[in-house]
Amino acid sequence: MAESICRALRDGALEGEHAPALTINDCIASPFGFNVFTHVLTQLSSYILAGKSQSRGLVLVALSRSPSFYVDLLKQRGFDVASSQKWIQILDCYTDPLGWKDRLVESGNIAHLYHEASSGASLCKNVKDMDKLFSSIIELGKGLVGQGKVRFCVAIDLVSEIFRHASISSVAGLLSNLRSNDQVSSIFWLSHSDLHEERVTAVLGYISSMVASVEPFNQSANGQRCNRENLSLLERNYCKGKFHARFKRRNGRVRVMTEEFRIEQSVINFSPLSSEDEMINRSLLPKVQFSLQLSEKEQIDRAKVVLPFEHQGNGKPIEIYDGRRSLADSKNEAAPVAAGVLQTNENSSKGEIIYLRDSDDERPDSDEDPDDDLDI
Amino acid sequence: MHIQNVVERVSIVMATTKSRTSSFSRNLTAVPSSTNPGLKYGPNGTIFMSSGIPDLDKILGGGFPLGSLVMVMEDAEAPHHMLLLRNFMSQGLVHNQPLLYASPSKDPKGFLGTLPSPGSAKDDKSRVRDPEQEKGLRIAWQYKKYFGEHQQSFDSNKDGKHEYCNDFDLRKPLERHFLNSHHIDCVSIQETQDLAALRNRCATFLTQFPRNDGNVSPAGRIAIQSFCSPQCEYSNMEWDMLSFIRSLRSMIRSSNAVVFLTFPPSILSPSFSRRWQHMADTLLSVRAIPDEDKELAKLLTGYQDMVGLLNVQKVARINTQVPVILEATTFSVKLRKRRFLVLECLNQAPIDGSSGSSYGTSATCSGTSKSGTLDF
Repeated sequence: MAESICRALRDGALEGEHAPALTINDCIASPFGFNVFTHVLTQLSSYILAGKSQSRGLVLVALSRSPSFYVDLLKQRGFDVASSQKWIQILDCYTDPLGWKDRLVESGNIAHLYHEASSGASLCKNVKDMDKLFSSIIELGKGLVGQGKVRFCVAIDLVSEIFRHASISSVAGLLSNLRSNDQVSSIFWLSHSDLHEERVTAVLGYISSMVASVEPFNQSANGQRCNRENLSLLERNYCKGKFHARFKRRNGRVRVMTEEFRIEQSVINFSPLSSEDEMINRSLLPKVQFSLQLSEKEQIDRAKVVLPFEHQGNGKPIEIYDGRRSLADSKNEAAPVAAGVLQTNENSSKGEIIYLRDSDDERPDSDEDPDDDLDI
Repeated sequence: MHIQNVVERVSIVMATTKSRTSSFSRNLTAVPSSTNPGLKYGPNGTIFMSSGIPDLDKILGGGFPLGSLVMVMEDAEAPHHMLLLRNFMSQGLVHNQPLLYASPSKDPKGFLGTLPSPGSAKDDKSRVRDPEQEKGLRIAWQYKKYFGEHQQSFDSNKDGKHEYCNDFDLRKPLERHFLNSHHIDCVSIQETQDLAALRNRCATFLTQFPRNDGNVSPAGRIAIQSFCSPQCEYSNMEWDMLSFIRSLRSMIRSSNAVVFLTFPPSILSPSFSRRWQHMADTLLSVRAIPDEDKELAKLLTGYQDMVGLLNVQKVARINTQVPVILEATTFSVKLRKRRFLVLECLNQAPIDGSSGSSYGTSATCSGTSKSGTLDF
């Protein structure tokens, strides 16, 4: 996954597009951002030297380490330093970022100043001026690759340093201008996220197309307690951690990836995650209250429900409700059913109409009005 | 899929016909007048302007009402707000409605080259074919009358050369003659240090469209892209930006124009993000979806074609006290044939309601943004 990040930086920008930009975030709990930065730097350098990348050169803005550190680093990693000036240029913002040495000499306090022999590095004396910084970077890049359509990469050591000296909007302007410059192929920078307000991290995330964070395995709530549990956690976080990346893809989707990393003698190695940590993105969707599928327990319960017309005919009499049940009937039914059929018959006889004839002499069903017998 | 389209269309058509048969609404036609195809008369004396996206017009009940402020909350991880912005701007140009476009880039005119052109008639055939195939369905008699009307409205749409809302082909750039008209004004807001100049520019633009009781034409459009973008110098002056929006809103109320403003809420502090959201008459938000997410692929049908999500947070109700209660507020953004922007209701498997938190309080999937609760 770190490989895909390096590949994305290697492939660079399409015509008319902004250059891909990577932010590497780390924090005090897992301070290995610089290892990731050097890893990306060496990977990209090897791609450039092998001719596999879109860019032909790299401009490194050094703010937290001196240029000689980088020269030594490249030597250690097996690059040929003698010819390095053809493909890498370092802008030295580490030695004298605010131009104090010149002011000391001018004020006459110091007669002679020792200048470090810096090979392949040009000095920046005013980190506060974003426009100057921008033009120095572009100049260095053009010096490497010439005019025209050939591109170069830019690496910024520590963007947090620049934020110390300049406002958020000017740094954001610098970074987005670099991204939109025609000759920049890709750009990446390191930031210590706990040195800034959240807004700065949000701004960096907004500007970049890939955000990589270095995190410890388990964030302990109280980092100061030093009992046995935390010690083993701390030990684990001492040289290992989680590497988490979010890519903004061209189709508008976000690719989220996580890996494990391990530091061995300041060289970082990546490996896939050992434990499964799947993120469920259900929070994106509106929650519907209906559940059309039954869980197992619910299915069993449903099978247990006996429908009304089903539980009759099991030996008990089938009762059809005819709407004429009186209160007395319902009381009688509360009596134990063991009495059986007889009792129900007795109960049902309560509502009968009994007709007794007055006399047998009368012709049955006579139509005469009985009042006709009266002499009125 | 067809049946689903049919059911959606029936429900939409039924919804629109309901308002016509209600005895309390004016018996105005929903068909745009032939003299001014860019505007549509709606209930309560509202006049609508098309958003450029047919589905969005339907969802909002006709389009954007004149005199309203439409705000779109961007997702820092995806550029979907640009799709909405492009369609909005192109629709205005096609209808000869003057446009003022403000952008944080140094060369806003370059963006005009990416505006889409209305799709040609033969591309529309795929949508028209559906009503013919519907004849194979046996539709219950009481619904047949809705189908007849639906076909009528379809025919009337195809007749005139000027439709109220065009289906824009995102792959075809807008013809030159639309861009060369005098109606387009572009402003770059990157260098502006205070917003008074931009406010004056908007005010002069809006004097062209005063709201009298007389005739309505012409109507205008203002499009402001990424208003609090970090590279703009005013972006750390939060109160100033808020008062700019407030004055813009009051200016727009007395003119026949619509302001379409996009902003990334992750860059603002949470309290200001809320205040901005309350300023909007119509509030939409776009969200990125994770790529290659197996969980989401299981949950949503059509996940493969989805580009992002659109939420309708608020719908403008200017002349009435009755709120709009939408059946669905989250829609998936898809590109039909990779060219035409369509919004579809999410088809998802229902989620177990017992897990509780409602949509409004759930977090977004992007790690860097902290947009907080999005409901009101």
